[in-house]
Amino acid sequence: MSSETAATGESPGPGADRPRGGNSLVGDLWTNFRRWNVKAVRNPFVLVSSLVQPIIFLVLFTQVFGRVAGGALQGASGGISYETYLLPAIAIQVSLAAAITSGIGLVNDIEEGMFEKVLASPMNRTAVFAGKTGAELLRIVVQGSIIIVLGVALGATLATGVLGGVAILLVCVLFSLWFLAFSNAVAVVTRDQESTIIAANLLQFPLLFLSSAFLPLTALPPWIRTVARFNPVTYGVDAARALMLDRDVMTVIEVTRFGGIWDTLVPAVAVLVVLDLAFGAVAVYLLGRATSSDVQ
Amino acid sequence: MVSQQAQAGSVGSADRGSAVAVEDLSLTYSDGTEAVRDLSLRVPEGEFFGFLGPNGAGKTTTIKVLATLLKPTSGRVRVNGHDVVESPRAVRASIGYMAQEVGVDEELTARENVRFACDAYGVPRGEREGRIEELLDLVDLADVADKRAEGFSGGMQKRLDAATALVHDPPLVFLDEPTTGLDPKARNRLWEYFQRINERGTTIFLTTQYLEEADFLCDRLGVIAGGELVADDAPAALKRRVGGEVLDVELDAGDRKRAADVAREARVFDADAAVEVTDSGLRVTARRAREHGTDLLVALRDAGFTVTGFDVRAPTLDDVFLAITGEGVDDLDEPDAVPEGEDR
Repeated sequence: MSSETAATGESPGPGADRPRGGNSLVGDLWTNFRRWNVKAVRNPFVLVSSLVQPIIFLVLFTQVFGRVAGGALQGASGGISYETYLLPAIAIQVSLAAAITSGIGLVNDIEEGMFEKVLASPMNRTAVFAGKTGAELLRIVVQGSIIIVLGVALGATLATGVLGGVAILLVCVLFSLWFLAFSNAVAVVTRDQESTIIAANLLQFPLLFLSSAFLPLTALPPWIRTVARFNPVTYGVDAARALMLDRDVMTVIEVTRFGGIWDTLVPAVAVLVVLDLAFGAVAVYLLGRATSSDVQ
Repeated sequence: MVSQQAQAGSVGSADRGSAVAVEDLSLTYSDGTEAVRDLSLRVPEGEFFGFLGPNGAGKTTTIKVLATLLKPTSGRVRVNGHDVVESPRAVRASIGYMAQEVGVDEELTARENVRFACDAYGVPRGEREGRIEELLDLVDLADVADKRAEGFSGGMQKRLDAATALVHDPPLVFLDEPTTGLDPKARNRLWEYFQRINERGTTIFLTTQYLEEADFLCDRLGVIAGGELVADDAPAALKRRVGGEVLDVELDAGDRKRAADVAREARVFDADAAVEVTDSGLRVTARRAREHGTDLLVALRDAGFTVTGFDVRAPTLDDVFLAITGEGVDDLDEPDAVPEGEDR
């Protein structure tokens, strides 16, 4: 790519002798990263859906269902508060909601003509998307941190300490990638804001409720247990929860060879990595097609 | 990459002097629509080129090929010496592109939009702030520079879009209907700016719905219809092609078709004169229409028509367009907002 940029300097014409800054890969990354961070802070929908809503869930769920859920928890997870049980699930919900807004941002760009404008510019296209994704992952980390601190303030216990908290944020990032890819794929296929919001939001609640997020699977009907086994949210929540409680919490797959917390973390992380790669590949393919100049 | 660069270089030297060189460009969409057919076009450096045609004629498709947003189905296209298929990034860095649809980030302020464009086109850091001020001032958005673009009217967004297309002072600018929807004042400011950068050597490739605009600004016009280039000449030469003068006759009532028959049968004009029925009466395009106009008025009065007004004028590009493409400019939707080029 650098040779292409270098060739620009040779372009004949009156502008050729003027000094030109030119683009660098890091510069393009930073330009896009900064733009999407500014947009995130200014967009009320983004802030409400990916921060306020999870906070409401955290507070309301613990206050309303706390005592009822306590009974179910006694049998399954033994003596932990509902705040402690729920916090990892809310952290995952933050990731899910933030990932949804990624596709919505892309559709907005397409509708506002910014997408074409960026494609017509000499910026490196990988840097364009990497910068945007970077801004979204940063948001997940910031919002996840807020949720964890708030949860602890409400009485949740983080058994693995600060390091465990950081690990939970990494799980959130790892978890978000497949849904981020999914929402971008929907965005670039539908090219329509409403369809993208509907597709992503419609999935959000079934995904959360049909998983181990809010109650132990043993307390739920068998059909939900079956769905939860194939639900990526279960693996994200179980990994985050294992870090929260410092113990093996996974019930959908029985793994015993690694011992303790790793019996949850290793299979969960493996499942998430595979999902990320699969969805990522589809999104990269679709984005590549949408940004290519091949006639369609 | 090395061979590509070498190739781009050699193409550049072979083609020095042409900002745009299109040879036999065809573009067919996957649904079978032939948007452009065997188009050949050369725009020399420094020219103010106007690209005209009815809606759907292939103007925007052609511009998108030149801006590397669409790949040609066949043909060779070089922009500033770079092949659009082989070195698209070199082309992108060397052009400014203002799309027909506005491209503005509504969550950013006017200043931030221009700054993003500066970053995207690698405007050197030292020149950046001065450039941003200059452009915001040019498009008359300096007083709302720090307001978010979401509150801007369509015209303000269009002006902001124009500013972002010009940040890097490119040697070649593609302007796809840059003044559509602007009020006359904003349009005049942009016209002046386009003329100024053109005088400084910038090549401009413009499409417009306003023939007055093309007439006023452009050195040369290409007319595209049905995906093919049907005319390519200076505005004055194209106007000469219409052949003669245009005589508009206003009639107060009566059967206009019959009036047209009277005009044809009166034999006051040459055989190739064109007679059309208009909203207000008749239009005759003919050589020496000025001299023979009175004879026509007499013939019409003798046939029982009341002439309420008449006007003889030189042909405009509208007439050219009609003569060449057989179509009026159906998309000329706000003719009242267009200032007359002659007034300036």
